[in-house]
Amino acid sequence: MPNIRMLADKVRLVSEPADKFKTSCISVSMALPMDERMAANSLLVYLLKRSCKAYPELSLLNGRLDELYGAILGAGVAKNGEAQVLSLSITSLADKFALDDESIQLEAAQLLSDIIFKPNVKNGSFGAESLATEKRLLIQRIEEELNDKRTYAFNKCISHMCHNEAFGKDKYGTIEEIQSVKMADVYDAWKNMLSTAVFQITVVGAADEERVAEIFKKAFDKVERNPATLETVFIQRSRRFNRFEEKFPVNQGKLVMGFRAGMSHRRDNIFAVTVMNDIFGMGTYSKLFMNIREKMSLAYYCWSRLVASKGIVLVESGIDTDKEKKVSAEVLSQLSDLRNGKTDPEVLESSKRALREKHTFTTPEGILGWYSSQVTSDEILTPEEVVNGIEQVTMEDVCAAVKKLSVDTVFMLSAQEEAENEV
Amino acid sequence: MKFKKYTDKKLGETVYCGKHSSGLEIRVLPKAGYSSAYAVFGVKYGSIDTAVKNVSGEFETIPEGTAHFLEHKLFESEDLNAFERFAKTGASANAYTSFEKTAYLFKGSENIEESLNILLDFVQNPYFTQQTVEKEQGIIGQEIRMYQDLPDWQVMFNLLKALYSKHPVRIDIAGTQDSIAKIDADLLYRLYENFYNPGNMVLSVVGGIEPEKVAEIVENGIKKTDGSECERKFEKEDAVPVQNYIEEKLSVAQKQFMLGFKEDISEPLLSLEDEIASQIMLEAVAGKSSPLFKKLLDEELVDMGFGSELFNGFGFSCVMLGGTSKDPEAAAAIIKEEFARLGSEGIDSAAFERAKRKFYGRMVMGYNDIDDTANLLMNLYFNGYEPFAEIEACKSVTLEKAQARLAKIKDEYSALSVIVPVE
Repeated sequence: MPNIRMLADKVRLVSEPADKFKTSCISVSMALPMDERMAANSLLVYLLKRSCKAYPELSLLNGRLDELYGAILGAGVAKNGEAQVLSLSITSLADKFALDDESIQLEAAQLLSDIIFKPNVKNGSFGAESLATEKRLLIQRIEEELNDKRTYAFNKCISHMCHNEAFGKDKYGTIEEIQSVKMADVYDAWKNMLSTAVFQITVVGAADEERVAEIFKKAFDKVERNPATLETVFIQRSRRFNRFEEKFPVNQGKLVMGFRAGMSHRRDNIFAVTVMNDIFGMGTYSKLFMNIREKMSLAYYCWSRLVASKGIVLVESGIDTDKEKKVSAEVLSQLSDLRNGKTDPEVLESSKRALREKHTFTTPEGILGWYSSQVTSDEILTPEEVVNGIEQVTMEDVCAAVKKLSVDTVFMLSAQEEAENEV
Repeated sequence: MKFKKYTDKKLGETVYCGKHSSGLEIRVLPKAGYSSAYAVFGVKYGSIDTAVKNVSGEFETIPEGTAHFLEHKLFESEDLNAFERFAKTGASANAYTSFEKTAYLFKGSENIEESLNILLDFVQNPYFTQQTVEKEQGIIGQEIRMYQDLPDWQVMFNLLKALYSKHPVRIDIAGTQDSIAKIDADLLYRLYENFYNPGNMVLSVVGGIEPEKVAEIVENGIKKTDGSECERKFEKEDAVPVQNYIEEKLSVAQKQFMLGFKEDISEPLLSLEDEIASQIMLEAVAGKSSPLFKKLLDEELVDMGFGSELFNGFGFSCVMLGGTSKDPEAAAAIIKEEFARLGSEGIDSAAFERAKRKFYGRMVMGYNDIDDTANLLMNLYFNGYEPFAEIEACKSVTLEKAQARLAKIKDEYSALSVIVPVE
């Protein structure tokens, strides 16, 4: 069990110290509603990562990180259910590995706190140049999602499937929204985040939990908290079937099939749904791997992913464009076999063993990721609790979970016929 | 068999190395507090091995992509395939092929000894038929097509094609649709016999297992052979590239580039010290706290994805720098200017010290990860080094050494690879 305590209203510290690791890892996750502030929030997190009062320029801050034996400062934006989660994290070497016996861990923890609470702000401004640069970089980052067609098709399927739900929005906000963000909006987003975001500070590895708690407690003492309410809409059954297609000059097509998983909240029947998804298309023993890849030789990859925070399952595969019908028909046929109990009982055991392994984390980053992804949940679930829950799942539970699965949206990224790739 | 013990006190790790009578090298790093283990069984046979020595002692050309094809096929067997066998232990198994090696691996926390038995067994028992080879041509065909659409991959392989005229590092790891069509079961058996003998292999295990146990499993599970290491042919090639510019049109949002500087080498392998000195030098010159990065960013010529690396192996060595840019030629010109400036003015000593510290920190952090550590121990062996040699080399790098490595970077040996968006 990790240690859990509250530092302020909806500011939770989750800690799992372990001496065996050579690093101290701290992440701060900040969950906000997916509203009109999304674009400003996204810019904010990258502006915070650039500098702080003590190191007011990007190269100075990066130089400081190098001095701290290459401490890694991370920043990110993600969707977690229908919340936009901003995160800032630092991984640093444990003190005992310092070559000159200097302190590294606490310096790194303090630096992370300063980046969030003491940014390089003068008169309500993060600096016009910094904002312009971060706008350019963020817009470029969004445009470049096109470069990786697998992720692009995955996101497109979600945006079509959930176009009437907040989850259908881009995690960063749109390019137009980003372009129109003004300095005052970013400053307001910062104030708003400190006051209203649901916070989780996750601490793993060699970190000194007490000292980290002190640092952040002190920072929050100066903040008036008024936490936001975060809600996610769960649509249990598909209301209509839709197919969308986009053509690109590529060699390989990408098929993504979106399903509603029949869940009413993120932990609804979660153990059976997890096993169902695993047997359907996660492991090498799964229906999709065994048939679409191994038996029919149609794809190098064909797998399914469960997004429990929104109650949806997505199947994705890289295929020849003219094989779309064949592959999608086979995916549905495999699902029907699974629904009708046509699964070797040994596969259920294989799945449970594999899921047990997936919940045995060997790196501090793995543990950190497990807990920080629960920022929007009131109760923390440990990997052991999940493993125990999965252990109880029967084949009947799996079949029942498949019965609730309904196909909603298909997105096909097709290869244009005249595709050429001459060097 | 006898183990030799290597300990790094500061790091707090001990590695046991031993040579089994079959010729197999074994490296084990037991880790206290870890229930999981990661094992990798590596063969010195990669995509650059496009020739084998025949009975009369001459090198004979073989199709491109055979090492990778064999990697896929070894998972198959007459009865249960390797994935089905690992499904019974719960371990997650995988394999990869790089320029210089093929590696088979698993990670698991339960039944580690049984998994190790399976690993040794499936890699040593090839089973191919014409039918299964043909099936794999379909799967690998899709894998090749997937990579052809990945700009990051293409920009690097195009650069290698521009830099190298003869060295097989210029060919794709998986080969081409045409070259894999030439592969049949007989050829695979012949190549298997040639490369897969214990003298050409290493077993590296890290995590919750003792060296004696590993030795016992190897004793019972390894086939005895002549134990000879396969010879590679070194042909020195002219340092002047084939062409200075190479371009490909792909479906991307913005131009991507990679600038490469080929090194004039007279020996097939760089020393570990030279290798690390180059990496530290690149960090100091082109890292995120460098004046070069600041300049490129300020002039809007790169984004945060800009990076540099030393890319080297048997018979090849080059420095690569790249990222996304609206004007790759302008970015390349600035990079070349900076190398020239630092060649005459010298690298800033504070920047060098910071880079060295960062490099050391990142190396120690790497030991958190049992996957990375096992692969590191394997690579050190293949290049003729003892455990922890990389940390010692890092500590001993001087500014003079870094400066000497910088002097190897010459404009006349450079080439620029660019990916241009399709109109």
